Amino acid sequence: MNAPVVDVPRDRAKAPVLVLGLGNDILTDDAVGLRVVESLHATLAGEGAIELRTTTEMGLALLDEVAGRENLVLVDAVQTGRVPAGSILELDAADLGGPLATGPHFLGVGETLALGELLGLEMPRRVGIVAVEVADPYTLGTDLTPAVQAALGPAAERVAAIATGWAR
Amino acid sequence: MDEATQQAFNAGSLRANAAYQSAKRNVTIDPITRLEGHGKIDIYLDDKGDVERAYLQVPELRGFEVFCRGRPAEDMPQITSRICGVCPTAHHMAATKTLDALYQVEPTPAGRKIRELVYHTFMLEDHALHVFVLGGPDFIVGPEAPPELRNIVGVIQKVGLDAGKRVIGMRRQLRELIAYFGGKVVHPVLGLPGGVSKSLKPADLPRFQALAREGIEFARWTLEIFHSVVLANPDYVKLITSDAFTHRTCYLGMVDADNRLNFYDGQLRVVDCDGREVCRFAPHQYRDYIAEHVEPWSYMKFTFLKQRGWHGFVEGPETSIYSVAPLARLNVADGMATPRAQAAYEEYFQVLGGRPVHHTLANHWARVVEMVYAAERIDQLVNDPDITNPEVRRIPTAVPAQGIGVVEAPRGTLFHHYETDERGVIRMANLIVATGNNAARIAMSVEKAAKNLIKGGEVREGLLNKVEMAFRAYDPCLGCATHALPGHTPLKVRIFDRERRLVRELSQG
Repeated sequence: MNAPVVDVPRDRAKAPVLVLGLGNDILTDDAVGLRVVESLHATLAGEGAIELRTTTEMGLALLDEVAGRENLVLVDAVQTGRVPAGSILELDAADLGGPLATGPHFLGVGETLALGELLGLEMPRRVGIVAVEVADPYTLGTDLTPAVQAALGPAAERVAAIATGWAR
Repeated sequence: MDEATQQAFNAGSLRANAAYQSAKRNVTIDPITRLEGHGKIDIYLDDKGDVERAYLQVPELRGFEVFCRGRPAEDMPQITSRICGVCPTAHHMAATKTLDALYQVEPTPAGRKIRELVYHTFMLEDHALHVFVLGGPDFIVGPEAPPELRNIVGVIQKVGLDAGKRVIGMRRQLRELIAYFGGKVVHPVLGLPGGVSKSLKPADLPRFQALAREGIEFARWTLEIFHSVVLANPDYVKLITSDAFTHRTCYLGMVDADNRLNFYDGQLRVVDCDGREVCRFAPHQYRDYIAEHVEPWSYMKFTFLKQRGWHGFVEGPETSIYSVAPLARLNVADGMATPRAQAAYEEYFQVLGGRPVHHTLANHWARVVEMVYAAERIDQLVNDPDITNPEVRRIPTAVPAQGIGVVEAPRGTLFHHYETDERGVIRMANLIVATGNNAARIAMSVEKAAKNLIKGGEVREGLLNKVEMAFRAYDPCLGCATHALPGHTPLKVRIFDRERRLVRELSQG
């Protein structure tokens, strides 16, 4: 019989899987991460291990959101300019670059996670990122452009698949 | 020269100019790559491989006025705080003050002081974030340090883990204070015309007073770190005062009746490159003093001093270009309204050779001086008997027409201007954001740094960081709205040869 796995203590009150939508709700396609997560409330209503949240903040504020979670699924807008709008990209934290991979002076997702580790906070063991390629994240507006609107359903399915997989 | 030759000469000259201009205009603005950055710097080399021009390009925020038109003016503190994930409180406060002006109502003393308390808390928190996380790596870790260390993790390795925890802990507490009054930091619901929506309960006061004392200690400690790490290093001081990072421009900032710095309210003062007052005006007069210039290569509008006229990106006694933000605010202020900040202000000018200081990188030091002021002001406010007065709002009764409101945001002067119908429905909304006020000087700084750092086609290692340092000192908010994946103002630098061919591309990330 294997010895019991020594676990890092986690905040028991927090659901082990956090699905976090990022974006700006009044900047056209920039809201896609928020909209995907909002659309999941009905689908994932019965999943006690999954918490759905959205935030319009960035940088260090992410630390407050993700600390104490075992698993994190980020949903965000992305603009690579290399794939058509509405394309769904799946990344992991390494794709965003931790502090050792880049020399940034901004605080990115990878860097935020590394900072949390350094400060002794409980950072997620698994991080998945579902990003939707957007057409227009610069115009004030509350409607998604058509291609991005069409990606809402498929993106939500991907997020739900990852989150429920990790919740098991 | 005979007439035919003259004509041929002129025609040739016109063609050459047109070709040159069209080459300039061919500076295309590509889709900005979110994963790699929000902005880019295009550098054009001449025959010798020296820098002919360098352009900083950023995406624009579009459709603001259209979005606002037809909405109730009371929505503006919420709408404008949502357009920017970086400085929501600054927009919220500028919008709230604009509503005061629109409805011609003065907030009650408690209402005003609660606004000031929240605002100075925001300034302290935001400045601390810049000092330690965004700008700090340049100095605390060092401009020549390996890239993998020039970040917050490197900062913590240098100042110690406990110090890192202190920064993060202080920030959390300051944000809790903001949230006490406004709910979510990012979408504050606090400001109303004539006051605020929530009073400070006397029972909660002691913890805010304790936080204020801690805030002062935190700001003083930050100043000590700046001393021991930055000012004690002759190389850093040399870099701060070097020509590559210096511009003799005018400066704009808000001052009180005694010409002391004020973040929340007062008159706007402009000094020239010798520190002489050029003008002093009330916020509602801004259109008489500030105009905007457009360049074909940029989405940014470049503000300048209207009465001097646009003379291009030039510095010196005649320039109409001004700067805002910490460096500018200290330059326009005759002093600080609190004792420790005053001492820090005096030392700053003594070490840097008197007022005004033209060194862009001195923004970092000026920011720490402002942290001391913000902390002391918080302490004054939580010990002011008015602060727990439940009368936090005066109900407006006037018919609205036009309002203009200004605050000093962390990144500089922020103007809001709305016109409404008699029901308070927005007809016109205009913003001049801090980075707009700084745009011309930022463009000059980027170009000057590039010209000083690239010679004979040789692009030295570390160039990207040095050029970025030229604008990072301003703490610019380039994609004024985007929350950003992965984060904050990363840049791409592209270098083109004489034939406008891309010869090198550098990026972080």
